[in-house]
Amino acid sequence: MKNLLKARWMSSLIFLVVLFIITGIVDPSFFKYSSIIGCFNNATMYTLLAIGIAFVIMTGEIDVSIGATLGLTAAMTGLIAQQDGSVVTMIAVCIGVGALVGLVNGLGVALFGVPSLIFTLGTNGIIRGLIFLVSDGRTVENFNGTIGAYGNKVLFAEITLFYTIAIALVAIAHIVLTKTRKGKYFIAVGDNAGGANLVGINVKSTKLLAYVLCGMFAGLGGFVFASKYGQVMTVAGNGYEMTAIAACVLGGISLSGGLGNMIGAAIGAVIMASISRLLVFIGLPPTYDNTITGIMLIVIVVVDALAQRRSIEMSRRKRLLSRTATSATEGGLEA
Amino acid sequence: MNEPLNKASGLTVRGIKKSFGINVVLKGIDLQVPQGSVVALIGGNGAGKSTLVKIIMGIYQADEGEIYMGEKLLKLGKPSASLAEGIYLVPQEPLLFPNMTVLENILMGFNEKEADLKKRLEKHMEGLGFNLNLQRKANTLSIAEQQLVEILRGLMREAKVLILDEPTSALTFSEVQSLFKVVQDLKQKGISMIYITHRLNEVFEIATNVAIMKDGLITLEGPVENFTKEMLIRGLLPDDAEMRDDGSGNYKAIQYEGVEPVLKVRNLCGYGFADISFDLYPGEILGIAGVVGAGRTELISTIFGRDKTLNGTVELDGKDITGYSTKQVLQEGINFVPEDRHYHGLFKIRSISSNTTSALLGSKEIGRIDMNRRRQKEISQKYVDDFRTKIVSLDDLIGSLSGGNQQKVVIARSLSTQPKVVILDEPTRGIDAAARADVYNIIRQLKEAGVAVLMVSSDIEEVVELADRAITVFQGRINGEFQHDEITQDVLTSASFGIKNEKAVEQ
Amino acid sequence: MKNALKKVFKHWELFLVIFLIVECAVFGIANPKFLRADKLMNSVVNYISVCIISLFVTLVMITGGIDIQAPSIIGLTSIIIGVLWSDAGVNIWVATLCAVIIAALCGLLSGFFIAYCGVQPMVVTLGGSFLYSGLALLVSGMSATPAYQGISGFPNKEGKVYTDFRFLGKGEIFGIPMQIVIYIVLILLCVWILHRTKYGERLYLIGVNQQAAEYSGINTRATIMSTYVLSAVSAALAGILLTANMNSAKYNHGASYTLAIITAVVLGGTLNTGGKGSILGTVLASLIICFLRYGLPICFNVDTQNLDLPVGIILVLVVLGREIAGQGMLSGLFKRRKKKASAA
Repeated sequence: MKNLLKARWMSSLIFLVVLFIITGIVDPSFFKYSSIIGCFNNATMYTLLAIGIAFVIMTGEIDVSIGATLGLTAAMTGLIAQQDGSVVTMIAVCIGVGALVGLVNGLGVALFGVPSLIFTLGTNGIIRGLIFLVSDGRTVENFNGTIGAYGNKVLFAEITLFYTIAIALVAIAHIVLTKTRKGKYFIAVGDNAGGANLVGINVKSTKLLAYVLCGMFAGLGGFVFASKYGQVMTVAGNGYEMTAIAACVLGGISLSGGLGNMIGAAIGAVIMASISRLLVFIGLPPTYDNTITGIMLIVIVVVDALAQRRSIEMSRRKRLLSRTATSATEGGLEA
Repeated sequence: MNEPLNKASGLTVRGIKKSFGINVVLKGIDLQVPQGSVVALIGGNGAGKSTLVKIIMGIYQADEGEIYMGEKLLKLGKPSASLAEGIYLVPQEPLLFPNMTVLENILMGFNEKEADLKKRLEKHMEGLGFNLNLQRKANTLSIAEQQLVEILRGLMREAKVLILDEPTSALTFSEVQSLFKVVQDLKQKGISMIYITHRLNEVFEIATNVAIMKDGLITLEGPVENFTKEMLIRGLLPDDAEMRDDGSGNYKAIQYEGVEPVLKVRNLCGYGFADISFDLYPGEILGIAGVVGAGRTELISTIFGRDKTLNGTVELDGKDITGYSTKQVLQEGINFVPEDRHYHGLFKIRSISSNTTSALLGSKEIGRIDMNRRRQKEISQKYVDDFRTKIVSLDDLIGSLSGGNQQKVVIARSLSTQPKVVILDEPTRGIDAAARADVYNIIRQLKEAGVAVLMVSSDIEEVVELADRAITVFQGRINGEFQHDEITQDVLTSASFGIKNEKAVEQ
Repeated sequence: MKNALKKVFKHWELFLVIFLIVECAVFGIANPKFLRADKLMNSVVNYISVCIISLFVTLVMITGGIDIQAPSIIGLTSIIIGVLWSDAGVNIWVATLCAVIIAALCGLLSGFFIAYCGVQPMVVTLGGSFLYSGLALLVSGMSATPAYQGISGFPNKEGKVYTDFRFLGKGEIFGIPMQIVIYIVLILLCVWILHRTKYGERLYLIGVNQQAAEYSGINTRATIMSTYVLSAVSAALAGILLTANMNSAKYNHGASYTLAIITAVVLGGTLNTGGKGSILGTVLASLIICFLRYGLPICFNVDTQNLDLPVGIILVLVVLGREIAGQGMLSGLFKRRKKKASAA
């Protein structure tokens, strides 16, 4: 059965490869190292957002404020950059502000029990407003210093520094989730909160931690945004939360919690980030971007849901049929 | 009233009180579970057994009282504290992680190395003779297998006190036997157990001590040798026990001659049952007995259009209604009182009148397009009066009523469509004695009104008391049919467990 | 004090009415111009899409669903009308009808996946929001007019008086803007649907307990699907009004309304798990937000670009307050349920 779980993110990977191959067949010039690596580099921001929100989704909650958090931290990065601040300060501020936002979300949801969609809708509005306040309603631009140099800095083999860091974080998150005791709690809480409570897991603090992590990742995303684009508008990050959620869903993370892993989220982010690039190679105008994304998302989740329902239904029927088919030999206990 | 407490070993519970709002559930519980003993905790529905063990497990906090392990006063209140003290509860409904494998389920929350844990797990499984694929996902397990996983979880935690909350309610006969072996084994190893059950035979089979709970108090307690089954039954009977007997004396026999059956089921096969045939006559109460998991609920839900029919026919008043949807079946004149009131019966945050008339939304009784609120109230009020349902206002949420009154509303709904056949699945589960008597009266009134009643019940006494005829279902098939004068607790029980009772079958 | 608070939060609509009155009073004192009827009506007109769609998304959420695709249907409707009318030369009313039908089909498609395939509403309508906004952009590409410009010049026959198609967006009846008239009609329609018909009763029952609804013989799937069709049609209506009002058909009209609509519905007291909520609550919440967006800039010099902040603060405070004040009530409910579980 572990294979099944594996198969879910594997199928996302296969889907991504098929997308690449189709693109390559239509336009062989896509089959260049740089074009393919470009797809991955391009996904840095979505990758960070997706693994952040994956923590929250796995516990069975949602966070629609991450786009705004990204915008806020990006704007603050820009402001620091205007003041010739150091990169270390920027990153510290991004992560700190992100963690703070996550803490507020986590307290509202886990401690006070406000439905997560509603609460994060509210904080989303507040953070959007804060962006406006810190930037005085203007686009933050004209950065000084070295930050711009980081934006597209290539580390090795055309892979950017930021994507390398993102992938390292994916790996760490994956190992934490699957190998450490506390890491497994995230999935456990989303899978069955009552059961988690029974085996001694603190459900509230696990959810709180998920939100804090989610905010921190969104903060990092903000730093990447600022250094990549060199300017931050007040609407920066608008709608990114939906893209991140879509990436998770494409990567096989169930929105009802308890199912999925970080590798899937990372692959989903690459898919979401690549569509528009691939369309260029296929020869379709980028206006097809959303249409294709929408169709893809719907087809995948519908097929997924039907397959899952079918397998549950089949096993139920098989179990019930076996009751009437055999006599005293059924059941799981062996005397 | 209690023997002097010996706190030297085992678990001791002193003066536990607990109330939920104005509802006092536990009124001061004293209980001792000596090391290596199996204390059978028995009592009616709502006596507070599950609440007590949930307090011991730390899921609920007690309002008053202490819990000792040996001499040590425990500070409980959250599950992790109880786990640390070696207490483990196997809940009535297993709380596994459906998307995880059996192995992950068992090892969740441990701090040690996985390899060590696995070794220990294998040892436990071997020791108990369990054989279970550890890589299966929990959502593919049967209830029995889930319970097995829960027990393994308890063993892995080196539990000193294992609490089993009605572990056999979902198990088949052979599974119960292997579970008992496990319990005996654990007892040998010095593990104390609290064993909640409804089945008195089990008490004598595995328990060393017995405690009877009634209305939030332990009313009888002692070593099992001091009790007989009759004593336990007497101890369990509600104080107003006589109520259960009224009406059974003046039984009215049914004239079957010249009467056409209203419901004819022929060779019906579906998921969970096969080859079921029976007739149901107007004004008759047909009891369906059998153990949990025998396929009774599957049978009647399939007739009600909730699942696919594989083979066979169902005829209502000469009309073939095989494979009809629930909506159609309702319109044809069958209605249903589901077993699980909370999942399938109640709209908790809707009013009493909304709940009563929900099955009428498909008819013109309460308006064509517009909702006729006045008519809705009239109908609801009529049933409230008829059934003596205790309510304050028809606009109150049904969630505010007691279990018995909720059940009366659900029964009212099933009658609101003026059905020819009413199917009752465990009509008195989880309601108190007074409400039970009322429900029995309602069922008898139905019979007098000429409605045919199909009643599934695991409470054999209920079948004996009410049914005009009874059939027993064993492993998905009918294995016995009994006329009114043949129905006794004995024959129904043995047939339910698949034991051939020659006398009963031949008659 | 706490009891009084509890009572107010229990009758959510009452709380909203008080809030609205206080809001109007504060703004009215700060700047008497605030209370001019035409300005107030105009504030609703400026936010009419959210007002209208939130009415019907209330129906969706009462069944326990959610709809975040409606805003993309605003743009889709708008651009279909524009392209059919301006580039294909179809009569404006026929074009409008076509757009409404296409919108209904979009709702039907999403509703089908949700109700019959058992996919989570959030996921399907997220996909739908990508898909339908993408389609809108594609349709826009069929036009001779560049997408960013928007198609304009809609029928507006007699000089200065708005008639024909644009009457919907700019016309007035007895001095009341046509959009407000339509909004009022839709409010009445929704109140009737939800609170007076058997269909409305079914929506509630499904939201409270879908299984029990099935056992009551309710076709829950078809009913759930129908709510998504209704909300898609309401989004189409919003698209029509927006096009007629701005004299511009654009693919991205309404794109930023996703969270605003959900905010109006949940602030109105609709439970996001379904089974509870009212049209009155949604209307009051919509008005509170409209007036806030209109009053803050003219009374307290808040930048018109930064109105998400106060709305967000109010949403957070209100839901937190409801949760804290309701703790006694809520946990009481919870305990009663626990009690039953222990009794079973």
